[in-house]
Amino acid sequence: MEFLQQVINGISIGAVYALIAVGYSLVYSILKFSNFAHGGIMMLGSYFGFLALTLLHIPFYIALPIAIVGAGLLAILNERIAYRPIRMRNSPLLYLMISALGVSIFLENFTIVTIGPNFRTYPDVLPTAPFMIGGLSIGRLDLIIVVITALSLALLTWIVYGTQIGNAIRATSYSMRVASLMGINPDFIVGFVFFLAGASAGIGGVMFGIKYTVWPQMGALTIKAFIAAVVGGLGSLPGAVLGALVLGITETFAAAFVSSAFRDLFSYALMIIIILVRPGGLLGKITEEKA
Amino acid sequence: MNEYYAGIIILACINLTAVLGLSLLTGFTGQFNFGQAGFLAIGAYTTTILTTQYHTPFIPALLAGMLLSGLTSFVIGYPTLRLKGDYFAIATLGFAEVVRLLIENLEKLTGGSRGIPSIPHYTTLPFAICAAALSLVVVAFYISSRHGRSCIAIREDELAAESIGIDTFWYKQVSFFMCAVLGGLAGGMLAHYVGFIQPSMFGMIKSTELIVMVIFGGMQSLTGAVFASLLLTSLPEILRAAMAWRLVVYGAVVVLIMAVRPEGLFGTWELTPKNIQSLWRKIFSRPKSKLSEGGA
Amino acid sequence: MALLELNHVTKKFGGVVAVDDFSHHLEDGGLYAIIGPNGAGKTTIFNLITGIYSPTDGAILFNGEAITGLKPHKIAQKGIARTFQNIRLFPLLTVLDNVRTACHRYASYTIPEGFIPSPRRFREEKAITERAHRLLEMVNLEGRAEEKSKNLPYGHQRRLEIARALAQEPKLLLLDEPAAGMNPDETQNLMDFIEKIHADFHLTILLIEHHMEVVMGLADNIVVLDFGRTIARGTPEEVQADPVVIKAYLGSEEG
Repeated sequence: MEFLQQVINGISIGAVYALIAVGYSLVYSILKFSNFAHGGIMMLGSYFGFLALTLLHIPFYIALPIAIVGAGLLAILNERIAYRPIRMRNSPLLYLMISALGVSIFLENFTIVTIGPNFRTYPDVLPTAPFMIGGLSIGRLDLIIVVITALSLALLTWIVYGTQIGNAIRATSYSMRVASLMGINPDFIVGFVFFLAGASAGIGGVMFGIKYTVWPQMGALTIKAFIAAVVGGLGSLPGAVLGALVLGITETFAAAFVSSAFRDLFSYALMIIIILVRPGGLLGKITEEKA
Repeated sequence: MNEYYAGIIILACINLTAVLGLSLLTGFTGQFNFGQAGFLAIGAYTTTILTTQYHTPFIPALLAGMLLSGLTSFVIGYPTLRLKGDYFAIATLGFAEVVRLLIENLEKLTGGSRGIPSIPHYTTLPFAICAAALSLVVVAFYISSRHGRSCIAIREDELAAESIGIDTFWYKQVSFFMCAVLGGLAGGMLAHYVGFIQPSMFGMIKSTELIVMVIFGGMQSLTGAVFASLLLTSLPEILRAAMAWRLVVYGAVVVLIMAVRPEGLFGTWELTPKNIQSLWRKIFSRPKSKLSEGGA
Repeated sequence: MALLELNHVTKKFGGVVAVDDFSHHLEDGGLYAIIGPNGAGKTTIFNLITGIYSPTDGAILFNGEAITGLKPHKIAQKGIARTFQNIRLFPLLTVLDNVRTACHRYASYTIPEGFIPSPRRFREEKAITERAHRLLEMVNLEGRAEEKSKNLPYGHQRRLEIARALAQEPKLLLLDEPAAGMNPDETQNLMDFIEKIHADFHLTILLIEHHMEVVMGLADNIVVLDFGRTIARGTPEEVQADPVVIKAYLGSEEG
């Protein structure tokens, strides 16, 4: 019983990680770099939702889209201001990573000085009472989160695999140069991808905020996103989802049965094990660099 | 010398020592280390525990801290340096977090989040200056050696470097080791200057400060590293009032530098006799006719 | 004993067969070429020889010793040097330094000696620098020794890349489309240069090229690849006359 209970918890947090990891992987597959600022976008998405609900008293079913669009637009802004100038000069990827770090530091601390460093709780917009199925207590909230996440991921999958623009995205991820020769505008695609990444991070942020709390250092979850993406296979979208679920479940078990203080330690350990044993990730293939 | 200014110089020397390590690893070898603070923490705690609980003299205690930092770098570097740069960067980020976690939870050894108080003030002004100067000399010699050139080759084009016979994995590990050792030295000195240590001193804020110094001065210029360490250590002291906004500004500055002048203030320029000469000539020579102006 | 042997080497990337059952041997001192349409697998073969890729099947021997699966730097140290289709220099390093990075055979001072001004280090650095200058003289780049290599014009960058490869004192030199982007004059200079280094350095050279006059003029033996498979091999005359080759490749070139 306890076991299944933890599995459900794990899936619930894994679903939130999946939303964040997918956005991370999307950007990685196009630009080949780890966007450390991704967590910051998620954090602001969470705050957008929170502020919409508490300050503006907007109902949840409107506040959520606001958070999603807000986070998406913020991500585009992030790319335009911080990354595009570097890409234009053809600078090494290292510079993009450094800039991303700068953005994440900026976002986190800007939030601290403007909105305040305190933890905030979302008002009760979603039912949280658990319901019982044969001795198992399933939180309504967890269920709702999993459903919303699954729907979002399904939508994202449809966009990336089932539409024209999705084809363009995948073409660009193989080769930006070739894609532009085929008439695809890489700048537009990059912007669109960032919007998608930001939007999914926004949903993830709101879900996370509802399940737990909202606080400026939430951006640190980027590391979890990276670990999830690595475990599943860097650059692979299904891999990100799988990795996130594996991570969520492993973490929850570690926290429940070993020690919650060392929850993060287990996440890193999982990543190190995967790197050593199967560096391509569970679903990934190692792509060898072309000379 | 006025104690206030002495303090700033000591702090600048400590930061410089840590920054030199980052310069070598990130600037000259091209591997991005987000978690230098973790190595400072290892150095600080190891040195402190040895001097306060085991009454070890300062220098052997420092060396122990440096060694432990260095060994830790092998543990992290071994699985991650053989893969693409992102893995290493994130691993260093995670590493610094893990160190902090461990320090906070191993209360009996480290005093937990309250830290360790009453550390003897062994880091004097002359000591700090000597340590920083020695580090600078060592790193400068390394960079100008064939090993340093191999590191730079790795930064410029890792594949090409492999193809001309450079064992890139090994050199990356060595640079990481040196970066960790210098971080450990800086941490040990920091502990014995401030007089107490707490895990909060070695968090993301510290790593960020160090990274900003490296980027600002120019990742590929040791002169820049020195300049940036001095400047950015004294500046916050002067602008003490705006503490909370300090990090906001740092973040923005990093983005700005990367977007506008990623080479940093100094680029690859170094304070060598040759460069000083040509700079002098540029500033002080009267414009000659185009014909007699030699090629640069 | 052949200098380089490739025995039934195959390379698959997922479902794509980039190189299919490729076999070749290079005798010491020869000048060989691989030609074929774009995407035929030529650079992949270079990458297999130099260890950037591992073969899915087959074996590669250098000087009788198996080098299949060794890391690229080990293979380079054994005496194989190469240039790249898209020039890979060290852009922020000077022209001189680009060559010095490859001068391993002139120095063996250890990492600890890298921290101190030891006499051995000083001596060996001098030797490296002299060697590098002489190589630059040979490729006519001596005058630009102190410039950053990214500032060189394209043709000069190519020469620098070759000079860097020569600094390794290799037994086998792999040149990947060295004449790419060159006009007829530069191409002729390049051909003369390749012949010169072939003789002066006692090198074995394997080249990939699209410029037919370079290949026909220089190579003793040519292998023709199409879709990863060998479709012909022989002397330039034999290959030029082979109808299979003409159909697949030469026929669509201006010649």
